[in-house]
Amino acid sequence: MRRQILRGFLGLGATWLFGCGKKAADPQKPSAARLRIAVIPKGTTHEFWKSVHAGAAKAAQELSVDIVWKGPLKEDDLKGQVDVVQSFIAQRVSGIVLAPLNDKALVGSVNTAVEQKIPVVIFDSALAGGNIASFVATDNRAAGRLAGERMAQLLGDKGKVVLLRYQEGSASTHEREEGFLEAVRQHAGLELVSDNQYGGATTESAFAASERLLLSKVAGSEASTGVFTPNESTTFGMLLALQKAKLAGKLKFVGFDASDKLVQAVRVGEIDALVLQNPFNMGYLSVKAMVSHLRGAAVEARTDTGAKLVDKANLDTPEIKELVKPDLAKWLGK
Amino acid sequence: MKRFLVAGRTDFVRRPWFGPLLALLSLYALFSFISPQTFLGATNLLTMARQTVVVAICSLGMTYVIMLGGIDLSVGSAVALTTVVVARALQAHAPPLAVIVLGLTVGGLTGLINGTLVTALGITPFIVTLGTMSLLRGAAKGLSDEQKIDADPRGIDAWMSMPEHGLLPPGVWIALFAAIVAGVALSSTVFGRHVVAVGSNEQTARLCGVPVARVRILVYTLAGVLAGLAGVLEFATLTVGDPTDSIGLELEVIAAVVIGGASLSGGQGSIVGALVGALLMTEIKTGCTHVGLPNWVQEIFTGAIIVIAVALDRVRKKPG
Amino acid sequence: MRLSLRSVDKSFGVTRALENVSFDVRAGAVHALLGENGAGKSTLMKVVAGALRPDSGSLLLDGEAFDPTEPSEARRRGVAIVYQELSVCPHLSVAENILLGVEPRRFGFISKRAQNERAARALSPLLRGRASFALDATLGSLAAGDRQLVEIARALAAENPRLLILDEPTSSLSGDAVARLFAAIRELREQGIAILYISHFLEEVRQIADDYTVLCDGRHVQSGRVADTTNDGLVMAMAGRAIAPHERHPRERGEVALRVKDLAGERLPLAANLRLHRGEVLGIAGLVGSGRSELLRCIFGLEQASRGEVSVGNRPTAGNPRRRLAESVGLLSEDRKGEGLALGLSVSQNMTLSKLSALTRHGLLSATREREVSQHWIARLGIRCRDGAQRIAELSGGNQQKVALGRLLFHDVDVLLLDEPTRGIDVRSRAEIHALIQELAERGKAVLLVSSQLPELFAVCDRIAVMHRGVLGEARPVNELSEHDLLLEATGA
Repeated sequence: MRRQILRGFLGLGATWLFGCGKKAADPQKPSAARLRIAVIPKGTTHEFWKSVHAGAAKAAQELSVDIVWKGPLKEDDLKGQVDVVQSFIAQRVSGIVLAPLNDKALVGSVNTAVEQKIPVVIFDSALAGGNIASFVATDNRAAGRLAGERMAQLLGDKGKVVLLRYQEGSASTHEREEGFLEAVRQHAGLELVSDNQYGGATTESAFAASERLLLSKVAGSEASTGVFTPNESTTFGMLLALQKAKLAGKLKFVGFDASDKLVQAVRVGEIDALVLQNPFNMGYLSVKAMVSHLRGAAVEARTDTGAKLVDKANLDTPEIKELVKPDLAKWLGK
Repeated sequence: MKRFLVAGRTDFVRRPWFGPLLALLSLYALFSFISPQTFLGATNLLTMARQTVVVAICSLGMTYVIMLGGIDLSVGSAVALTTVVVARALQAHAPPLAVIVLGLTVGGLTGLINGTLVTALGITPFIVTLGTMSLLRGAAKGLSDEQKIDADPRGIDAWMSMPEHGLLPPGVWIALFAAIVAGVALSSTVFGRHVVAVGSNEQTARLCGVPVARVRILVYTLAGVLAGLAGVLEFATLTVGDPTDSIGLELEVIAAVVIGGASLSGGQGSIVGALVGALLMTEIKTGCTHVGLPNWVQEIFTGAIIVIAVALDRVRKKPG
Repeated sequence: MRLSLRSVDKSFGVTRALENVSFDVRAGAVHALLGENGAGKSTLMKVVAGALRPDSGSLLLDGEAFDPTEPSEARRRGVAIVYQELSVCPHLSVAENILLGVEPRRFGFISKRAQNERAARALSPLLRGRASFALDATLGSLAAGDRQLVEIARALAAENPRLLILDEPTSSLSGDAVARLFAAIRELREQGIAILYISHFLEEVRQIADDYTVLCDGRHVQSGRVADTTNDGLVMAMAGRAIAPHERHPRERGEVALRVKDLAGERLPLAANLRLHRGEVLGIAGLVGSGRSELLRCIFGLEQASRGEVSVGNRPTAGNPRRRLAESVGLLSEDRKGEGLALGLSVSQNMTLSKLSALTRHGLLSATREREVSQHWIARLGIRCRDGAQRIAELSGGNQQKVALGRLLFHDVDVLLLDEPTRGIDVRSRAEIHALIQELAERGKAVLLVSSQLPELFAVCDRIAVMHRGVLGEARPVNELSEHDLLLEATGA
């Protein structure tokens, strides 16, 4: 109550300061009424997040709210993401939509936000605890199983399997990795050759790790080996490594997420299949869930945004096209 | 004759890079013993050489900077900025050769900025390059709209790929060539001697008529050009301009130079040592993968090697 | 006896640094330890201070066995050492420096009051008759002489000081700081403390020491009362032979090589006029701080001139070290370790640094040529070192100075600006450097020599001018001057 009175005073003061002599000031409601929602991705350089951004922008436009898009530029900058969340709390945004870099490290910040009456919607990766309004994500474990099943099918239930993990402490990719392993273990003919190497945060580190892995674990048995990578940077790094080693197309390769170069690789057969999430939908549904919550409507606790397998055969179907290449320009204005 | 041989051998042992080289070779033997089929292979050696190129080239410039008694924390950011500039220029359909020259120029400019700030303002290099580290990183992000830039490499990628004919990717030859030039320049040109003199005792150098300011600016610029070269080769490897590329590269480069026997207080260092240091770190990463050790073991391993290499150097130098 | 050494031996590998050394040091006396560089003085000092342990032999402190395993143990027994290189922490205060390592503690915190009391007590005998300095001043803000006193005070801060070892304590001090130091040493002697005093300056030894011991090549040569011996006798004992003074040949005064007109620096000098001829050694006397070094540095361009002109040859030119070297003018710095030499580099690298162009071939430095050059000058100057590749830091002070001089000779400069060329070096090297200066003048070089040693100036120079408070007086021929005149002029009396 007191805060509202205070805000009223500030508002009056501001009107007095800046609005002097402007009798015909816009009678629109004070800006506090238009919802301002912070959307915090894990990073901003991957294609994936561009799609999320577009989806969020679409929802913002449809629902007449403002979104502020800001994340740590480096994909593994946990501290940076915590800082971003806290600065949004300090700015007193209406709500925060967050893809947490770590399932535990951000619980504290999320709870702070909720205590300050700023609701939080989590997307992409799960948060371990915290009083959140909704969780919007791909069911990563299911997506991982999808990749594992396709791998078994590609190898004809017989051969070696290599997993290059993404990064320690990343929940979503960990789920995919585990889902993939679950599926692989159900096929007795598949032998898991390596599952303890990590690609790291950037393309360059993923590339180097891929090269090492290929040389040490794959060399000599290309034809009967399958490789799985759980996100865009590891998939691209692995693709580069395969191209450098002239192995592209010679072994089975299932990746995750899409970008121009990855789709092109599917088209020429260097990648056998990509698991695609629906990032556009994820961004869209997250913001929508937040707005519904803020406007007092009931919101699902868990929304699955779905995952699809893309290969050479279905690459040009309209449904997949929309997934692979959403019309970003339309929503982001670039 | 015998005496001569003995003297020659102790001389060799006294070199700053002797310890690290020993470590490099014995780890090589160890990893080869544990996983002979894969680690020992020629392909693996080539891959290791290629993976070391960027760190190695940066470490050449860093050796000069550190021998001068300075430090350059901005090298990772300079590499990232160069990859972005190269990608942007290729997008704009500039001819590949011009793009490469542009990349080297951008790198050189970052070095010129560092050198000028250090010399003209008299601020310690650590502070100056701490500033430019962030400044250049920001510039890279701004120039790339905070996104990775896909660009058709138009042949530049061949620099870091195995050629149809020939032993090594051109990038490795370039790194070797740069190392030889840097090594010879350091040990047997007037410029190199001036660098050592300024790093060893700036007052003495001034007394002897060494143009201290010019040498300093030149060294930072040179380090910048090498960072630019590394950036071009990094782009050739990844074929994308990535503003988040090479974060923490500066520490890896400094580690390589220090493992190679350089002293952070200046006047002491070795190009061969820096190369050995860079190779050693790649070798540890690769070896751990081949043996199947998880990442955390590899990180502990790398850290231990840095401390041990420097500690051994101190012990070896103790008189008596 | 306060300290007795009995048949002390110490070897490093095959080198015998000390061989069967025995002598006694009395309580309440100043005992000078003399010897050339490399005679074993430093080793002996370190043995007594606990930094090294003797291979055989024994030490007695006030009649009790004394075998310290480390310096802190020696310090607890009341034996402390002040090294030649000042070792103080410039960022700490006077009191903090004095009690470094033995800070008085109260409930785990440093007690400021006890610290100041103890520091003041340790300082008090050193400050007889002069104003104290603030205990909370940082060391970096103090003059060299005061820093030295702080270091001695630190040695005295031990519970029961019995023996104080001073290693060439005056080598970086000005005249009046030396006087203050001597007053302090006499006070300590009155209190019954024994002082082992290491120095190259015989004049100094004569002033302050009661007893002496001479070492030569690690062996004890002789001991006795200073009053019972002559300087010549001491020099002979130290060198193991008599040193013949350089025979002074008549030399021809040539054209003017360097002309300084009304030169003033940013701070010092205030006004200097001089003409230096070829074939001449011109001495500049004066107190430390009168602006002598600054004059040389202004001429050479290491410091900015605010007024006046310097002409080498015919026309005046603005100075910077590069241009001066090109004009064949060279400077020998008074700060050998800080400025004169790059201690991390080798003998040959130091020697050739100012004229690398003479070593290049097709743009590359020739290692062969470098080796030849260093071999030549090592032989020519009698520099005692392994070879040109040895690190200069491993050489003795006298040999380092010869390398610094060797650089000017290799550069073949015509005008030599020498700033305290023989400070802190041994007797033999000093004589050799004096001879070298004479010979250079005979060969037509022009030498401007700054020295605080009046005998040195009289021995070497043709003319001497006195610098007093930044103003350079007129140069007069040595045969018209006496040391007395110079002192009067230098002190402004």
